Amino acid sequence: MNTKKSGRAAQRRWRGLTTVMAVLLVIALVGQVMVNGFRTDIDKFLGTQSSIVVTDDSVSADDLYTYHSDYNSTKELLDAIEALGEKMSEEGTVLLKNNGALPLTQEETQKVSLLGFSSYYPVMGGDMGSSLAVNVGTDADTVDFVQALNAKGFKINANLQQMYKDLEPYFVTEVASWGGSITYTRITAPSIGGVFTSMEPSQAQMAETNANWKNELKNDNVMIITIARAAGENKDYTPGVAGVNPEQNLNQTDPLGLSDDERDLIAAAVAAKEANGGKVIVLLNNASALEIDEIKNNDGVDAILEIGLPGGYGFYGVADILSGAANPSGHLADTYAVVNANSPAAQNYGNFAWTNGNRDWSMNSTLVEAENIYIGYKYYETRYMDSVLGQGNATSAVGSTDGKAWSYNNEVSYPFGYGLSYTTFTQTLDKVDVDVNAKTVTATVTVKNTGSVPGKAVVQLYVSLPYTDYDKANGIEKAGVQLLDYGKTKELAANESVTVTIVADMQNMASWDSKADNAAGTKGVWMLDAGDYYFTIGNGAHEAANNILAAQGKTVANGMTEDGNANNVKTWKLANMDTTTFSVSKAGVAVENQLADMDLNYWMPGTVTWLSRSDWQGTWPKTYKDLTATDTMISYLDNDIYEITANGDPSSVTFGAKNGLTLADLKGVSDLDDPRWSVLMDQILLEECMIRTGFGGTSSKAIESIMSPLTIQNDGPNGINSYTLGQYANTDKNSGDPCTTTADDPNLSYKFGTMCNETVIAATFSKELAAEYGRVIGNYSLWANLTIFWGCGNNIHRLPYNARNHEYYSEDAVLTVEQGTSYIQAGKEYGCIIAPKHYAFNDTEINRTGISVFMTEQQARENELRGCQAIVEDGCLGLMTAFNRVGIITANAHTGLMVGILREEWGYKGLISEDFIMSANYTVLKEAVLNGVTMTCNTGENSMEAVSGKWTYWTVENVSKDAKLMAALKQAMTWQNYALANSNAMDGLAASSTLVSVRTWYDNVITGMQIVFGVLTLGCAYMYIQSLKRKEN
Amino acid sequence: MKKQSVGFILSVVTVVAALVGLVGYLINCGTNYFANLGVDSAVVGCTVAAIAAVIVYVVVNMKGVQTWADVLPVVAAALLMAATLLLVNTRVNAIAAVMTFENNAKNMADLVSCIVGIAGCLVATIVAVISSFFDTVKE
Repeated sequence: MNTKKSGRAAQRRWRGLTTVMAVLLVIALVGQVMVNGFRTDIDKFLGTQSSIVVTDDSVSADDLYTYHSDYNSTKELLDAIEALGEKMSEEGTVLLKNNGALPLTQEETQKVSLLGFSSYYPVMGGDMGSSLAVNVGTDADTVDFVQALNAKGFKINANLQQMYKDLEPYFVTEVASWGGSITYTRITAPSIGGVFTSMEPSQAQMAETNANWKNELKNDNVMIITIARAAGENKDYTPGVAGVNPEQNLNQTDPLGLSDDERDLIAAAVAAKEANGGKVIVLLNNASALEIDEIKNNDGVDAILEIGLPGGYGFYGVADILSGAANPSGHLADTYAVVNANSPAAQNYGNFAWTNGNRDWSMNSTLVEAENIYIGYKYYETRYMDSVLGQGNATSAVGSTDGKAWSYNNEVSYPFGYGLSYTTFTQTLDKVDVDVNAKTVTATVTVKNTGSVPGKAVVQLYVSLPYTDYDKANGIEKAGVQLLDYGKTKELAANESVTVTIVADMQNMASWDSKADNAAGTKGVWMLDAGDYYFTIGNGAHEAANNILAAQGKTVANGMTEDGNANNVKTWKLANMDTTTFSVSKAGVAVENQLADMDLNYWMPGTVTWLSRSDWQGTWPKTYKDLTATDTMISYLDNDIYEITANGDPSSVTFGAKNGLTLADLKGVSDLDDPRWSVLMDQILLEECMIRTGFGGTSSKAIESIMSPLTIQNDGPNGINSYTLGQYANTDKNSGDPCTTTADDPNLSYKFGTMCNETVIAATFSKELAAEYGRVIGNYSLWANLTIFWGCGNNIHRLPYNARNHEYYSEDAVLTVEQGTSYIQAGKEYGCIIAPKHYAFNDTEINRTGISVFMTEQQARENELRGCQAIVEDGCLGLMTAFNRVGIITANAHTGLMVGILREEWGYKGLISEDFIMSANYTVLKEAVLNGVTMTCNTGENSMEAVSGKWTYWTVENVSKDAKLMAALKQAMTWQNYALANSNAMDGLAASSTLVSVRTWYDNVITGMQIVFGVLTLGCAYMYIQSLKRKEN
Repeated sequence: MKKQSVGFILSVVTVVAALVGLVGYLINCGTNYFANLGVDSAVVGCTVAAIAAVIVYVVVNMKGVQTWADVLPVVAAALLMAATLLLVNTRVNAIAAVMTFENNAKNMADLVSCIVGIAGCLVATIVAVISSFFDTVKE
C-alpha cells in the first residue's frame, strides 16, 4: 500500500514538474514571438542592437562621418547645455512690474525669505511630455530654485525652508492612475475634465506648523513668493469656476486665477513689509497665462517676474535676474488677460460631444473656433483699437469683465510682447522699406540704452492692415495690429546705440481671401488690400496699437489708455488690391482654398457665425455644442475614405530592381530631382514599403534593399529626453567617429529633458538663442546618435487653458515660426532632424484623438499654419501630424492640409510620422499614405503577417493591384529616405556598407531557455513515465 | 464529494479563473477602445482548449484514475500560459497608450476588462500549475 502511494506521489511530483517546465517552455517560445514583435523597442530599452552596419575598413573616417560636433567631450557638451539653460532664463524671464525693488543689492541677497510651497517645489517641466529629467552625478546636474540660489550665493531663511518641508503633506498631489495614484510634491495640472485644487498651505496651516513663521520675515525681509500652475500633455484647465475644486471655498473663480490661500500669503508678505520694511517679489511659475490683475494692482508687491517653467538650469538665470547679474530682456509671448474666460476663443473650449458620436471611429467631440482670427492680442488689441475708433460696436458689453461697456484696461493686465528691463531704452523707427518684388519689409530701428546699466533690447515690428469695405463684404478679418517680425540687440552699454535692421517676410502681412479668384482658376488667394499700411514698433502689441492710433490722430481723449508715439509709425500706401504677389507659393505652386471643409458651414450651412470686427456684438461667438453629424459627414467620420481597388498599371510602379545603389550613395544629395533617387527607390520592395509605413513608431527601421539605417526617434521639446546620452553612444574609438565616449564617462547616464519650456524660449524674442538651442540639440544628436527629434512644438496658444501650452511657443504665429525656424535650421547643420509638431490644429488635449476642429480657412492659414509655414519652406526634414481631425477628416487623411498645402504649396520633402495613434481605424493607414504620411507610430514584427494583422486591408494581394496606392507608398518611402540621407543617420555608413543581423544577449537567453526548458520538460516527462513503471512494478 | 481531493478544488478554481479571463477578454474586445484590435482566435482557442482539458481531466478521474489523462493538466497549464502571453502581446501597445497619451476616464474604463482578462488567464495558469501537483480524487 505504501509503495503504491509513494508511486502515485512520484507521479504527481513529476507530472507537476513537467507542467512547470512546459509552462516555462511556453514562456520561452511565445516570448520569442513577442520579442520579435517589439524588438526595436526592446533594443532601445536595453541599448542592444539586433543589426549592425559593417563597413569596409578601407573607407576613410572623413567619408563616413559628415557631421562634426563643436565639442571634444561630453563634458563640454553638457556644459554648453547648462550654460544655455541659464542663458534662456536670463533672457526669457519677463519683468512685468518693478518699482525699483529689483535688482537686489548684495546685502539683500543675504536675507531672502522664500514663500509659497512652489518656491521649494517648483514646476520645472511638464507632468507628461517635456517633463524634467533630474540628473545627478553628471557634469550638468539639474537644480531647483533653492539649489540655484545657494549656488549663486544667496542666503535663504532656513526656518521657513524647514516649515515648508514640514508642510509637505499639505501640498502632496495624488494623480489618479490605473490601480492607484502617482504622488507629486508640487502642483500638478488637472486631468482632462478634472478640476484644479489649490495646494498652497493656508495661513492657519502655516501657523500650526510654525507659530512664529512671520517673525522670520523681520530680518530676512526680501520676500520672494512663487505662484505656480503646472502644465502637461493630456492635461487641461477648465475655464471659470467649473475648473476649480468645488470642495474648496477659496474664492477662486478660475483655475488660472488666485485662490484665497495664495492671496493670503501675498497679503502676509505685504503686511510684513509694511511692518519691517523689505521687499515683496512675486515669481510666476507657469506656462499658461495667469490671471494676476490683483497682483499687478497690489502696491505692496514691488516686482513681478514671469519665469515660465525654467527646466533644470533656468533657476540659475532667475537668480541672476534677481541679483542683477543679468538684466531681464524677456517679453511676454502671450497676453495676460484679467479674465481668461472672457475671450471669444473661450466661448468654445471644452468637451462638446457629437450627439451621434461613435467611439469605434474616435468620433467624439467638436471644437468650433468661432473666434475666427481673433485669438490673444489679435482680439484684445483689435477690439481696443475699434473702441477708440468708434467702430464695430467694440464698446458693447459683450465679453466685458464687469458686464459694462468693454474697456481695455478692464480686460488686459499685461499685453503680448510686454517686458521691462533694469535699464531704459529709446527706440526710433527710422525707416521702413516695402519691397513688393522682393516680398520683404525692411525696417531700420535705432536703439539707445538711456539707462545706467547694460542691457539687451527687443525690437518688435508691428503692422496694421487696412480693414476695408471689401473685407467686410467678403468675410475677411484684419487684426488691428500684428507682429511682423522682431530682432534683439546685443548687450548695449549705458548710452550705447545700435541700429537694428529687420527684414520681414511680407507674406506675413498678407491676408487669406477665400472668395477671390486665383492663378489656379479656382477660389482663394493671399491678398493685400488697397489702403494705408501702418508700421510701428513698441514694447508689446498695446504700445504698437497706441502708436498707430496716434498716427491716426487719436489721443486719450478718444479713449486711449495712453497717448501713442506717432513718430514711430511709418505708412505705406497700396493703391489697388493685390491678389497676385502671393498667388504663387515659394515652391512655385498656385495657391487656392484647401480647407473649405474646415468651415462647419460647408457641411451644415448657416450653423456658425464667425466673429467679425465689423460687429463685435452681433457676431460674438456662441457656444457650439450638441452638434449632430449628417449622413454625408458620417461617411467621412468613419475614417474609411479610400477603397483599395484595382486601378492603373501596377507594373508601372517598379519594386525590387537590382540597381546596385545604396542610400549612402545619395548621402547629402539634397536635390530630390537627382535621377539617382528614382534608381535607388526602384530597388525597394513593396513589402518593405508596407511594413515601414505601418510600423514606424519610435524608430524608422532599417530597409535592407536600399541599406537605409535604423534611425531612432526621440521626444521633446525640452531636450532629447527619450534616452540617456549613453544609450546609443559610440564607444568604439576605432570607428573613426569623432563623437566617441568611454564606458566610464559619468555623463552617459545624462538625460536631456532639462531645457526650459518653449514659452520661455519664445519670451526671449531671440532668434539667436533659439538657434543656439538648435545647435546644442544638433551636437547632442551627434554624441548620442539620436537623429530624429520631435522637438519643436509649434501649435498656437489658442487659450491659456490648454495645459500643454508649455510645449508650444506663443499665441502668435510669427513669433512661433521665427523661433521654430531658427531652432530647426541650426539643428540641421548637425544633421539632426528637429521636427515641428503637431500638424495641425492640436489646439486642445480634450478628446484629441478624434476631436473635430472647425475654423475658417483664413483663421487656419494666418494663425496655426503661419506658425509652421516658414519652418517647412526653409527645408525642415521631419514633421509630426496631429491627433485631431481637420473638420471631420482626420489630419492624416486630409488632402488639402497634407498634400495641397504641405507637400505642394510649401514644397515639403521630408518624412512625416503620425502622433501616437494606436487605433487601426483612426490611424487611417491607406489614406495617410496617399496623403504623404511616411510612417505611423505603431510598432510590430518585421513581417507582412504582423502589419496585415493590424490593418486587415494592408496585404500584398490587395495593395499590389492598386497602382495609385503603390506609387504613394514608394513616394512616401522616397521622402522618408531623402530625409535620412540628409541627416546624421548616415554617419558611419558608406556605399559599401552592409546590414548584418546579429544575435543579442537576450536572443541567446531565450534560445537557451527554449533548449533548457525543452530538455527539462522531456526529462520530467521521462521521469513521470519511470515513476509510472516503478509503480506498476 | 468525499472522494474529491485538493486537485479537484484547484481545477475548479482554474476553470473559473480561465472563464473570468476569457469573458473579460471577450468583453474587452467589444469595448470602444479595444474593438479595433479584433478577437484573437489563438487567445480564445488556447483558453477554451485549456478549460476543456481541465474538465475532461476531472471527469475522467472521477471514474477512476486514468494515467493517460495526466497529460491534460500539463497541456492545460501550457495553453493557459500561451493564452496569457498572447493576450498581453495583443494589448501591450494599447495599454501603454491608455496609460499615457490617451488617458481618460472612458479609455481607463475600457482598460479594466483588459486587465481582468489578463489577470484571469494568469491566475488560471498559476493555479493550473499548482493543481498539477495534486490528484483530483483521493486514492
